Amino acid sequence: MRKNGFWNRLCAGALAAVMAAGILTGCGGKAPDSEGQEAEGEKVFYYGDTTFNAENDESDVNPHNGYSGWACIRYGIGETLFKYSDAMEADPWLATEYTNVDETTWEITLRDGVTFTSGRSMDAQAVKECLEHLTEVHERAAGDLKIQEIAADGQKLTIRTEVPVPALINYLAEPYGCIIDMAAGITEDGNVSGTGPYRATLVETDKGLTLVKNEAYWDGMPRLDTIYVRTISDGDTLTMAMQSGELDGAYGLPYASLPLFEGTPYTISSVETSRSFFAVMNYKSEVLQDDRVRRAVAGAVDRKNFTEILLNGNGSPAEGPFPAGFSFGDQTVTAQPFAPKASRALLEEAGWTDTDGDGYVDKNGQKLTLRWLTYPSRQELPLLAESVQAVMKEIGIDLQVNCTANHLDFVAEGDWDIYASAFVTAPTGDPEFFFTTHCLDSSSKNRGGYHSDELEALEEQMSRTFDPEDRAKLATRMTQVILDDNGFVFASHLRMSIVSGEGVTGLTAHPCDYYEITVDLDKN
Amino acid sequence: MKTYIARRLLQLIPILFGITLLSFLLLHTGTADVVDVMESNTGSVMTETEKEQLRAELGLDRPLPVQYAAWLGRVLKGDMGVSYVSGRPVLPAFLSKLPATILLTVSSILLTVLISIPLGILSAVRHNRITDYIIRCFSFMGNSLPNFFVSLLLIYFFSLKLKLLPVMGNTAGWKSVILPTLTLALSMASRYTRQVRAAVLEELNKDYVQGARARGIHEKRILYGSVLRASMLTIVTLLALSVGSLLGGTAIVESIFLWDGVGRMAVDAITMRDYPVIQAYVIWMAVIYVCVNLFTDILYHYLDPRIRAGQEEMQWN
Repeated sequence: MRKNGFWNRLCAGALAAVMAAGILTGCGGKAPDSEGQEAEGEKVFYYGDTTFNAENDESDVNPHNGYSGWACIRYGIGETLFKYSDAMEADPWLATEYTNVDETTWEITLRDGVTFTSGRSMDAQAVKECLEHLTEVHERAAGDLKIQEIAADGQKLTIRTEVPVPALINYLAEPYGCIIDMAAGITEDGNVSGTGPYRATLVETDKGLTLVKNEAYWDGMPRLDTIYVRTISDGDTLTMAMQSGELDGAYGLPYASLPLFEGTPYTISSVETSRSFFAVMNYKSEVLQDDRVRRAVAGAVDRKNFTEILLNGNGSPAEGPFPAGFSFGDQTVTAQPFAPKASRALLEEAGWTDTDGDGYVDKNGQKLTLRWLTYPSRQELPLLAESVQAVMKEIGIDLQVNCTANHLDFVAEGDWDIYASAFVTAPTGDPEFFFTTHCLDSSSKNRGGYHSDELEALEEQMSRTFDPEDRAKLATRMTQVILDDNGFVFASHLRMSIVSGEGVTGLTAHPCDYYEITVDLDKN
Repeated sequence: MKTYIARRLLQLIPILFGITLLSFLLLHTGTADVVDVMESNTGSVMTETEKEQLRAELGLDRPLPVQYAAWLGRVLKGDMGVSYVSGRPVLPAFLSKLPATILLTVSSILLTVLISIPLGILSAVRHNRITDYIIRCFSFMGNSLPNFFVSLLLIYFFSLKLKLLPVMGNTAGWKSVILPTLTLALSMASRYTRQVRAAVLEELNKDYVQGARARGIHEKRILYGSVLRASMLTIVTLLALSVGSLLGGTAIVESIFLWDGVGRMAVDAITMRDYPVIQAYVIWMAVIYVCVNLFTDILYHYLDPRIRAGQEEMQWN
């Protein structure tokens, strides 16, 4: 009897545990499989994306919150006054035209017949309210736009800036510039009312979104009834979900997985972006203060091998910070070519020779050792480090690679000679951003302490130049300056790919990485 | 017993204080701060003035003891603070992830028990026979395969080839729980099968078993009535440790199966140096382990008469 009692108690305990778990996990709650139950004739699209999460500062779709504007514009919820063309030039979108009245005054005419998903018409007053709120709460936007005041009159918007902002139109095309209805407000979960082809009905940070079509969209009827965007941070899961047919489209697949989707029924749309992988020389490092050593290092970066072999063609060799699609891009500048023999000769010229026959050059009994700092979260960076390390050994430099997620600690300590990172060099299509952030005395990311009088003077000129062609010419000259100084070595520009499943049309990669779900997206 | 439970719960206070203080100090040993990490992760560019402003807003410009005291003061009032990354209150966000973690813990523990106990007993009873060898072979394999590899294999076979189960978790109801449960249970069951086998074998070699056999008691009765019950102490201890670890989340499995649990949240928070979330996680882990250990001790009380006798003796003394 006693033994039976023991087992009964044990079984009762297990049963209680299951019941408790059932209660705690909310058995009777929301059916998680509600998505996927398609009504007959309803077009539903499943989209896997790696980026919609708090870690990327995209915790919702409110463009006035950090980088959430990217989610707002990518998923077709919001639209900006201007839109980047394939050549990354700002073309009118919700605006129809603009006039630069004087250095600080811009008149923008808005499109007629556009309504927010809240039902309100998009007029100058609505845009004024939106931009005023943006500059009030979004420090980056306020710093870029430098708006002093906005006047609204019907469909005419007049913006006055505190100082001349030559790239204002480009900044207005930035995702934070998505025009939303402030009267409808921003919900607690960060949802907004925009003018795009879709509106979000469910926003779940780190998990995804549910979108439904905006029946009153101004530029045609969206083809899909519902879109489920799923945040999938694991590359293998994203790959297999696409292979199993659970997804109709995927963004951010690992390079190694892309060959799986070559050929029917998949389509890969790829485009070169301004996300560049580059190395910065530390001018505080005594060895690298010698220009010949920096040139030798620059000549050891085999861009062709890196992009074609190591990245499986998912990148293009870089000369400077901007890809060839830009008018001030790679085709306009010349970098130190890959030439290991010339690098060895340069080192010899600088007094670095292999006196002890160990394969590494030395001077005054000191072996030439350089510390290459990088991080693993961008899959390309460790590969770049390995590639350079192999060539460096050939030319006699002992390259010690430190690839760590804790790279910022090392940067702060100055415990590095060369720092390789990734950066979107022209997010607004304008070249000035890269120079002001990385190459000037005042730049917050000028980690290597680079300085050039010529560059400082050119930037001064750039900050007063409004004409896009003149700005492009200046950008070319500025790029050539930093390349001639070998303070920066550019290895590759990212080729971004989006994979579409069977019957999907209209899912196209764009150089700016902002436009994914558009009115043209369809599934048959 | 009530006094004992109360005393154990009171012990939570110094434990929580020590653990949170230690983790707080360890987190702040790096030279890069939260604002730099946030800037780096988002690819944004901030001026030094903006960074200073943000540090002041987050209270990071204050001395460490002040930061810790402020945090502790808020926690005592039930406020875990606001996430540096999402800008949302930590407690509701943390609680929203718990159900998924609890569900996965319960399902994987149950499956582990269902697999490992019968196989462990079978392996012990059929000691050094073909059945034992086969079970041990699978047990070795299960132990050797890392979780991420098992999960990818399971997805490959069940989702891609057989198309029976979904790749993505939390999207297809009860079907979503199968693969993550299997992944966790397979490795745990492999380990426990060997532990159960060893515990049962040890008991089978004891004198009371020989005595029972000599008295002609049926083998099944010896096995299920005495041996297994005596072996339960070891098994319960191991299961309790596993429950603690599973309730802390399984970041890799959660990432692969898109299972929205606390493990992924904790790993993301550590990457982003999101101190309020990390501290909430640390408290959760401390509470889990103290409670699970307490529960195990209470269970011992019922399972082992020697412990009961010892406690009674202590009361009389």
